Order: sequence, then C-alpha cells, then structure tokens
Amino acid sequence: MRKKNSLFSKFYIAICFAFFYLPILVTMVFSFNSSKSLSKFTGFSLRWYKALLENSEIMSAVYVSVTIAILATIASTVLGTMTAIGLSKSRKIIKDMVLSMNDIPILNPDIVTAIGWMLLFSSLGFQKGYMTMLLAHIAFCTPYVITSVYPKVRSLDPNLANAAMDLGATPYQALTKVILPMIRPGIFAGALLAFTMSFDDFVISYFVSGNGVKNISIVVYNMTKRINPTINALSTIVIVVIVVILLLANLLPRLGGGDNKKNNQNMKKLVAGVAVFALVLSLVTCVANKSNNKEARVLRVYNAGEYIDPDLLTEFQDEYNCTVIYETFESNEMMYTKLQAGDAYDILIPSDYMIERLIREDYLQPIDWDRLTNAEGLNPDVMNKEYDPGNVYSVPYFWGNVGILYDTTVVDPADLSEGWNLLMDTKYAGNLYMYDSERDSFMIALKALGYSMNTHDENEIQAAYEWLIQQRDTMKPVYAGDDVIDNMISGNKALAVVYSGDGAYIMSENEDLGFLMPEEGTNLWYDAMVMTRDCENTELAYEFMDFMLRDDVAYRNTQYVGYSSPVVAAYEQAQEEDYEGIEAYVPRVGYEKDEIFRYQDTDIKKLFAELWTKVKAQ
Amino acid sequence: MEKIIELKNLTKNFDDQQVLKGINLDIHQNEFLTLLGPSGCGKTTTLRIIAGFEEASSGEVLFDGMDISKIPAYKREINTVFQKYALFPHMNVFDNVAFGLNIKKMDKAVIKTKVERMLAMVGLANYGSKDVTLLSGGQQQRVAIARALVNEPKVLLLDEPLGALDARLRKEMQIELKKIQKEVGITFVFVTHDQEEALSMSDTVVVMNEGTIQQIGTPIDIYNEPENRFVAGFIGESNIIEGVMIKDFLVAFDDFEFVCVDKGFPENEPVDVVIRPEDIDIVQPDKASLKGIVKSVTFKGVHYEIIVTTKYRDYRIDTTDYFAVGLEVGLTFTPEDIHVMWQMGSY
Repeated sequence: MRKKNSLFSKFYIAICFAFFYLPILVTMVFSFNSSKSLSKFTGFSLRWYKALLENSEIMSAVYVSVTIAILATIASTVLGTMTAIGLSKSRKIIKDMVLSMNDIPILNPDIVTAIGWMLLFSSLGFQKGYMTMLLAHIAFCTPYVITSVYPKVRSLDPNLANAAMDLGATPYQALTKVILPMIRPGIFAGALLAFTMSFDDFVISYFVSGNGVKNISIVVYNMTKRINPTINALSTIVIVVIVVILLLANLLPRLGGGDNKKNNQNMKKLVAGVAVFALVLSLVTCVANKSNNKEARVLRVYNAGEYIDPDLLTEFQDEYNCTVIYETFESNEMMYTKLQAGDAYDILIPSDYMIERLIREDYLQPIDWDRLTNAEGLNPDVMNKEYDPGNVYSVPYFWGNVGILYDTTVVDPADLSEGWNLLMDTKYAGNLYMYDSERDSFMIALKALGYSMNTHDENEIQAAYEWLIQQRDTMKPVYAGDDVIDNMISGNKALAVVYSGDGAYIMSENEDLGFLMPEEGTNLWYDAMVMTRDCENTELAYEFMDFMLRDDVAYRNTQYVGYSSPVVAAYEQAQEEDYEGIEAYVPRVGYEKDEIFRYQDTDIKKLFAELWTKVKAQ
Repeated sequence: MEKIIELKNLTKNFDDQQVLKGINLDIHQNEFLTLLGPSGCGKTTTLRIIAGFEEASSGEVLFDGMDISKIPAYKREINTVFQKYALFPHMNVFDNVAFGLNIKKMDKAVIKTKVERMLAMVGLANYGSKDVTLLSGGQQQRVAIARALVNEPKVLLLDEPLGALDARLRKEMQIELKKIQKEVGITFVFVTHDQEEALSMSDTVVVMNEGTIQQIGTPIDIYNEPENRFVAGFIGESNIIEGVMIKDFLVAFDDFEFVCVDKGFPENEPVDVVIRPEDIDIVQPDKASLKGIVKSVTFKGVHYEIIVTTKYRDYRIDTTDYFAVGLEVGLTFTPEDIHVMWQMGSY
C-alpha cells in the first residue's frame, strides 16, 4: 500500500514538473531549429539567435524592458519599503485603510488599470512613451513591494529603532544599520517580485506606451500573428538570465557563509552597481530620445503586427532622412480604441470596414493622388471599392480573400465542387479548422446558404446561425486562431478556413495543400494606408505612401508578408518567382458573388456576437 | 545627593486620553529609583519621555539642570534596557554590545577592551561571537544591560527588564542588577509593576496610578506608611477599613474605638485604616473586642493565611499558628499597627 502511494506521488510530481517545464523546454529546443517550423525539428542552427541580434526592433525592446524593469524595481522598492516602515508606525485606521487600498491595484484586472492609466495620461496631455511606461510600472510594482515588506516590518520588535537611537544612532543610522538589514529578505523578495512583474507586463505597458516605445511583451504579442522562431531565441535567453539570477540569489548568501559584514558589503556593491548601470542606461535613452526629437521629420505609422518588412522601414528612414515611429496593433478594434483615447498617428493601415467607419467618424483627411507618383502602378481591380468609393481617403496596401485550404492527399478533388459545404461534409468530420471570428464564420454560413454576407435580414442570419450549429454538432471543427498557420504547415488536419495571404505562406511551406475559393462567393478584403486628420507632416506621409507603392519596395514587402500586392509589377513578379503555382496568392477578381465587409450597425454586430457566443458555448 | 533629573509638571496626552497628569519628580545621582504601578499608570510613558522616545505634551525635563525636552534620544547621555531587550538579531553578542561605540566611531582596539570588560562584568566573557537569538532569556538580559552600560551613561533606564524571566532567574537578576548598580555607581531608573521587586531593589520607590504619583519614599516608608488606600493595596496585602477619626490618637471602625498613633486629622473625619495581615494577632474570643469565625486557612510555607469573618468584613491574618476552620476567635492589634490615611481624593 505504502509503495503504491509513493509510486503515485512520484508520478504526480513528475506530471507536475512536466506541466511546468515542458513548454519551456519546447521553446528552448525550437530556438535552435534550423527551419521556421514550430512543430518539426529539422536540425540544429543558431540562425534565430543571429536573426534576434540583427532585429533592431527586438533589441530595442529588450533594452526598454530591462531598463524599465530595473528602474521600476529600484523606485518601487524604495517607495514600497518607505511606505511599509511608515505604516508600521501609523495609527490603526490609517494602516488598515492604506493596506486595503494597497490591495486594490493588485486585485484589479490589469486591463482596467491599463485603461485607467491610458485615459489619465491622455487627459493630462502626457506624451506617451518611455516616461509614461516607467511611471505606470513604478505604480503597479509598488503595492507588491509593500505587501512583501510590511509583514517583515511588523514582525520586528517595535523598540529596535528606539534601541538603536538610544545607543546614539541617528534616525538614518537606525534605519540603515538596524531596520533595513533586518527586513532585507522582505525587500529582496519585493524587489524580485517587482522586477518580474515589470519585466513581463504586457497589458499595462501596451496601453500606456506610445511613440514607438515597446517592451519585449508588446513586440512578441504583435509578432504572434506570424510565428517567428526569433521569439524562441529571445525566450531562451530570458529563461537563462532568470535561472542565473535565481541561482545567484540562492547561492550568494551561502557562499558568503558566516561572514555577515563582507556579505553586507558585497550586497551593497551589487545593488549600487545595478543602480548605476540602470541610471546610465536610462540617461543614454533620454539623450538618444532628445537627439531623435531634434529631427523635425517624424512620421508616426500604426500598422497591424508582422505586416511589413522591417528592412523597408530602415531604408525609408535613411533615404528620406527622417524618423519613423512605428507601432503595431493586434486588431482593427484595438487600433480604434487607441485612436479614441487620443493617441496621435500620421498613417494608419486598417481594413476596409474600419476605413469606412473612420471616414464616417471624420478621423481621416483626403488623399491628393497627384502627390503619389507611383500610383499608376496600382492594380485597377483593387481600386474604387464600396468602403471608399473613388479612393478619396485610402491607398491600397494589401488585399486578398478567404478560402479553404485543403490537403490534396486527403481531400477527394470531386468534393471541391461542394464549395463552403465542404466544411459540412461528414467525411471530414473532426478533421478541420474553422476561423475563430464571428464575422468570418457568419460569412461562410451566409455564403453557403446563398445570402449576402452583409445581410441585415434576421431570418437569413438565423438560418446562418443554424448552419453553424449543425456544422458544430456534426463536424466537430476546431475554432482556431493564428495557430492554424503552423498546424497546417505540419499537415495536422485536412481542411482549414484561412485568409489568402496566410494560405499562400502555408502553401509555400507545405506542397501538399490546395486553396479553394468557393463558388458561392467569399469575402474580398482590402487593407489600405490612410492619413489621419492629425497628420501634420503630410509631405513625409505622401513620401512614405509613395515609397510603399514603388515596384521594388512593394515586391519585397509582399515577398516578406505573403499577402497579395496591389502593385501590379510586384504582384506579377511574386506570382512568377515566389508564389508560382500557389492559387492562394492570386485572389479572384471581378466575381460577382464575392463581397467586401461593410460597416456594421451596433444592433447587427450585437446580434452576431450573441449568436456566435452560443455557437461556441457547447 | 545632587539632582540629576528633574521632571516638572509633566503631562502627556495620547489622542484625547491624558496618560500623565502632572508628574513632578526629582531623581538623584547614584540613586536606584523605581517607578511602580499597575499597567496603564504612566510609568513606562514617564520613562520613555526621559529617554526621549516620547515628547511630553507639557512640562519640563531637566538633566543636570538643563532642559532636554527638545534634545533627541540619540544625543542624551541616557541609555535604556528594553522590556524584551530589543537586541539586534542580525548581530552577534559582541556587535550588539559594541553598537553604541561603533556609532561613536571609537577606535577598534578601545571598543574591544571596553566590550570585553563589560561582558565579563555581566558574566558573559567568551560569549562575544555567539548569536544573540540563541541565548537564554537571562543571557539576553545581560547582553542588553552590557549594551547599555558600555556607553557609560549617567542614567540607565530599565523598562520592566525582568518581566520575561522565570521566578528564580528573576530573583538572581534582582541581586545582580543591584550589584551592578553599586559597581558602576550611576543612577538607575527602574520600571516595574512588581511591588516585591520594587521594595527589594530600590533606594526610592515612586508609586504611580492613573497618571499621577501617589507616593514617593523609601521602600520601608512606602510599606509601613502608605499615603492612601491605593498605595496600601498595591504594596503588599492589607486590610483596609473605612473608619472615622474621632480625635487625635483615637479612631473608630467596626463598632469599636481604637487607640492609634496618628494625629492631625479634623475631628470626625472619615478615614481609611490599614492593618497589615502580619500585624494582627489571633486570641481567645474573650480577650478581644473584635470577634469572628475562621473562614479559611491556607498554608503558605512560612505562615498560614487565615481569613476571619467578622460582623462587617473579612480580615486577613498571616500567622505561624494554626487555627481550625469554624473556630470563634478574637482579633487584636497594637496602636502602632494601626495606620490611618486620608481617604482617596480628600486631600
């Protein structure tokens, strides 16, 4: 009985460790992968580490994360420790009040805190960037320091400080020679906590930062759209650094042995060293920022994540002697939120329906097409669409449609004529990915039923809902996000609903796939560059848009991103060279059943959202 | 003896509560003075004001004739031994004792000599490298005393320093403290709620209650001539009886008149009468005017503690003779054993 128990407990511990450490292990292993795949290990290489070092966006994010974390740790540790010591001497009411107030930021969901900070900074007219991020980090780290230092302070004999002063120590000496050494474990724990909270914070940083200042989390989050193993390399380095820090933290006191004094001095030197290092780094940042600010020509671009070849940005800055503050968003809605909060940008690159909304709400200024010398290279098929008739406000950036990616080794070619109803063919039950997006899913259902995807008819919407329910029950689809890309490269399932650009990229990595554009019609979409009302340096904005329309630039961009270029020369070159024989790169044009998403009224949007929630609630 | 500390009309308010209501006290050189009283009487607050940890709400603290009210604790030539010692747990015994000297940036060699001499004096030679948290209560106590005395203060304050020790160790430390005080020849101000401790160690006892001084005197005065019912009750077990002072040398209580040695009260003044339990004799009932029945007998080692119920009250008598419960007895005492006091609040 006993033996069985211990076997079970060993097994249990093994499982726990596996859960904790397998994900980390996988990350570390794949950081050395020679190919881009995240699921097949094709050989050892250091190419992602090289890519990491060469990626200036990531390197500057590392720099921001590290300096912010160190400075926030120092500031919040000092503040928190002072508060904790002060509290221990305060009256009970004040103590209780402050301590409960201190719990609120810890318990509060990050997103609420984040939006609060964003609105506060906006309403105060602070320019978002390094300082705002640092302030917010100090603010949200301090409560953690207080919580870990206060119990230590409270456990001290209240007469200790008195005893020191009684023996001739000034209050400051009593603090440094008696109180601080005794609560050092608490301070150390608080500082570690603050450092990790600051270092891996995403939500708050995302909302309070701006002007191109990004920490690692923000960069990584925006990179997830197209998974890039450089993240693995970065993660591995971070893990190694953390392990080293933890080892040092555990070993240093032991190595010091009984010699308390020496230990103390080493500790002081270490803390002082880190502080000086951080101060120098932040000074450098300030100076660098200042010199940046001196340049008059600054362009603020806000684009979706992983949606540009970063080398092109560097080239543009060199060629036009300017600075591009480049920020990325994760969805059109997120971009809209930031705009509403008063964040200023010059150029945005949103999607069709969002452009329609921005035009209606007067966020944009009209384009003077005469100033775009490369405009004639644009494909007329992508121009003059319903979202912006006559392209008064928008210059196409990429375009595409939605289709079904299928495994040619599994799917019978005869079945392809089923169109969207292929997704309802029980032969492939349990073998398909749907796209986890209400609008795209309803588009599929409405099209499969022969309706318009922009319908307002509630009966039609109801029918589409039933189609989706039936599909859910009979086909058991996986509602996936961007993980579809890697899964389909690995050929994990037979069918997947994908955007054409993703499809083109997946097909270039996996030869066994085909791309079906169903005959019932599909969603044609366009992403375009627009100029905001706030845009001051319109000259530079036109130069940027014109640059992006240049044949060679557009070609390299489409090559990098995988979506179809609206520039004819680039589009044709890519078809011939990079995406030869890949149907997904060539969206269908002029097909009357294809539609563009239109701006949705709140009522309809709400109805869709409610029904989609029901579909997903099993 | 020369005065070293003078407290003048000291008051202290915490929030809206007055914990010291006008303390006037002179402390002399080389004196062992004890502040005695129940918890909450203000004795510790008085001590903390002398040490400089609290500021008086009004009044003066004079040290060698100079007002030190505004001088911070770390500049006063006074050191304190704290209730729970307040040793620095992150330092060993030597560093604890050397703390004050290190702060003064004294020469290392001098510090070493001084600390070692002090440790030897408190009986902790060779304990220098020990971790203070691993010492016994009595040893920690000695470290705390050494840590204070090594600074050669003019006054040593001790805040219930023996409170955490067990009864035997406590006795031992009482003797030791007295010895140390004689040896270093400085003023000790000692705070305690233990009357026996106060009586056995002090040159002067200051009895306090509710923020006021009830009586200042030598232990013998305090014991034998308590000023009022509170002091009498607090210092040792007593029979305290309400009576009337008929005239000088004659007091009436429990239906009888007794000759006493007290005088100077107005005629027919209501007074409190104290008779110590060991001063009452138990005799045959016919040999005394005050009679009663033995209610209980408790053996206390050296003596029996006997409670005798009379018409108006129970008397406590300490005697080496045994009397059985239920026995009718008489109670007698001599005029010298009767101590007449003003009633509380009437003076």
